[in-house]
Amino acid sequence: MLPYIVLEIRRTLRDGVFMIFGIGMPVLMYLLFTNLGGGGDDASGWKAFSMVGMAAYGALGAAMSIGTGVASDKSLGWLQQLRITPLAPSRVVVGRAISGSVTVLPTILTVLLAGALVNGVRLEVWQWTALTLLLWIGALPFTMLGIGNGYRLTPQATGVVNVACLMGFAIVGGLWFPLSEYPSWLRSIGTYTPAHRFADLGWATTGGHAPSAGTFAVLAGWLLLFGAYAVVSYRRSARTV
Amino acid sequence: MVQARLRTVSVMEKTTGNGPAVVFTGAVKTFGRAERTVRAVDGIDLTVERGETVALLGRNGAGKSTAISLLLGLNEPDSGGVQLLGSAPEQAVRAGRVGAMLQDGRPIPRVTVRELIAFVASTYPSPMPVPESLALAGVSAYADRRIDKLSGGQIQRVRFAVALAGNPELVVLDEPTAALDVEARRAFWGSMRAYARRGNTVLFSTHYLEEADENADRIVVIDHGRIVADGSGDLIKESVGGSHVSFDLAGGPTQGLELLPGVNAVEIRGDRALLRTDDSDATVIELARLGRVRNLRVSPATLEDAFLSLTSPATDSESETV
Repeated sequence: MLPYIVLEIRRTLRDGVFMIFGIGMPVLMYLLFTNLGGGGDDASGWKAFSMVGMAAYGALGAAMSIGTGVASDKSLGWLQQLRITPLAPSRVVVGRAISGSVTVLPTILTVLLAGALVNGVRLEVWQWTALTLLLWIGALPFTMLGIGNGYRLTPQATGVVNVACLMGFAIVGGLWFPLSEYPSWLRSIGTYTPAHRFADLGWATTGGHAPSAGTFAVLAGWLLLFGAYAVVSYRRSARTV
Repeated sequence: MVQARLRTVSVMEKTTGNGPAVVFTGAVKTFGRAERTVRAVDGIDLTVERGETVALLGRNGAGKSTAISLLLGLNEPDSGGVQLLGSAPEQAVRAGRVGAMLQDGRPIPRVTVRELIAFVASTYPSPMPVPESLALAGVSAYADRRIDKLSGGQIQRVRFAVALAGNPELVVLDEPTAALDVEARRAFWGSMRAYARRGNTVLFSTHYLEEADENADRIVVIDHGRIVADGSGDLIKESVGGSHVSFDLAGGPTQGLELLPGVNAVEIRGDRALLRTDDSDATVIELARLGRVRNLRVSPATLEDAFLSLTSPATDSESETV
């Protein structure tokens, strides 16, 4: 499985468009959102809050974009070619999720670096470490969702659906603007989105405390749901070859 | 004969088990649902021995690719069975005993040829050294170029290298030379034969008669999901029998030619009549009696004749109701 992971990471790193938009976009948005318009009285709080939101947004986007890659692999016949190698199907899926996760990491790190170096966000060492790890591991449900879409849909449809999911999650989940700015009905929907709970892992950390049990429970629920979706989609794609 | 025996010995050394490489028993695969179903594979019985090079010959849509997908475990037969090297297809694939080149496989972007082949080799238990499979497939010269930067012919060879990388006992090639020019085709078959000479089994599908005749020990003709002929090219020609008798019309009448003894088809090409006959002697004697022998020529039936008489073009009625 390791050579497969290495191969897929290599392919992603050579994808210039992904590297620029996947990594560049969240950083750019973070710097714009936090440095335009003055930031009001709690500028440093907003800089830390938005740093987590944008890192989560970038991680989410990178995780879901793995699905676009899966869909184009399918259309190239590469998934079928993999199926006639001795590599077991479950390893193919897990390998793809792991290789995807590795490409999620640089997106998180660049936003955090921008927060620390450009915006002067100050956290304890353990907070930086926990933040990175939690956002990295917490992206797994979105990886599953993206991969599930990729196995099920054409490359074009996957791209569109992924972008729609990403924007929807980012807005409703409060990654770009805090949920507290929203009307109460939207706020209560927002708190149950995986994106909000995902970012909450980070906000709890910057706030100096452990994420709540509710956050873990909601995320675990979404992971199960999206994981099942990915497996069902993979079986379906395998059947119709 | 001696060569055949030598080959059998080397096969025995190489493989762990005995018995045939491929066995289809009454395999049926139907696509579609309810009233409109197509029997893509309609009861195939076929045994391929180890060390054989076998061509699956058929028109487009004859069921070749479906048969291959059953063979590789990508699809399951509705009824009947398929055995690969003595086990279920999926097991044989999982054990790394099979390599394949699928029809619609295109190259994945952003990897070099060497990286791809090294990866595929790494998934097999006892692969060929990477430089060896690169050389055998004839891709060494551009091993460090990215696959998405190669030409169609080069990509086809890379896909062959993918099939060989694991050093499998059986290689399955679905329409391996589609879209290759003459020279690339010749080079490809050279590589394929080199691999077969090592005692490996090769099963390839094609709709080019000459390819089947020149590169396979045995030709299996598939039509409408069934096997309609099975044997060497010569055997298939003989089984259909017949020969061609042609002569100059020299302005003579064309009607009544189909009534000549032995004749079963008549074709007029310009000023020349082409008769297909089961009994060329009787046809020629009668023509001589009629005095119509100008530039008369008798030639044996070609494989193309055999193929055309064995198969029928795909029609709408192909979507049989089951």
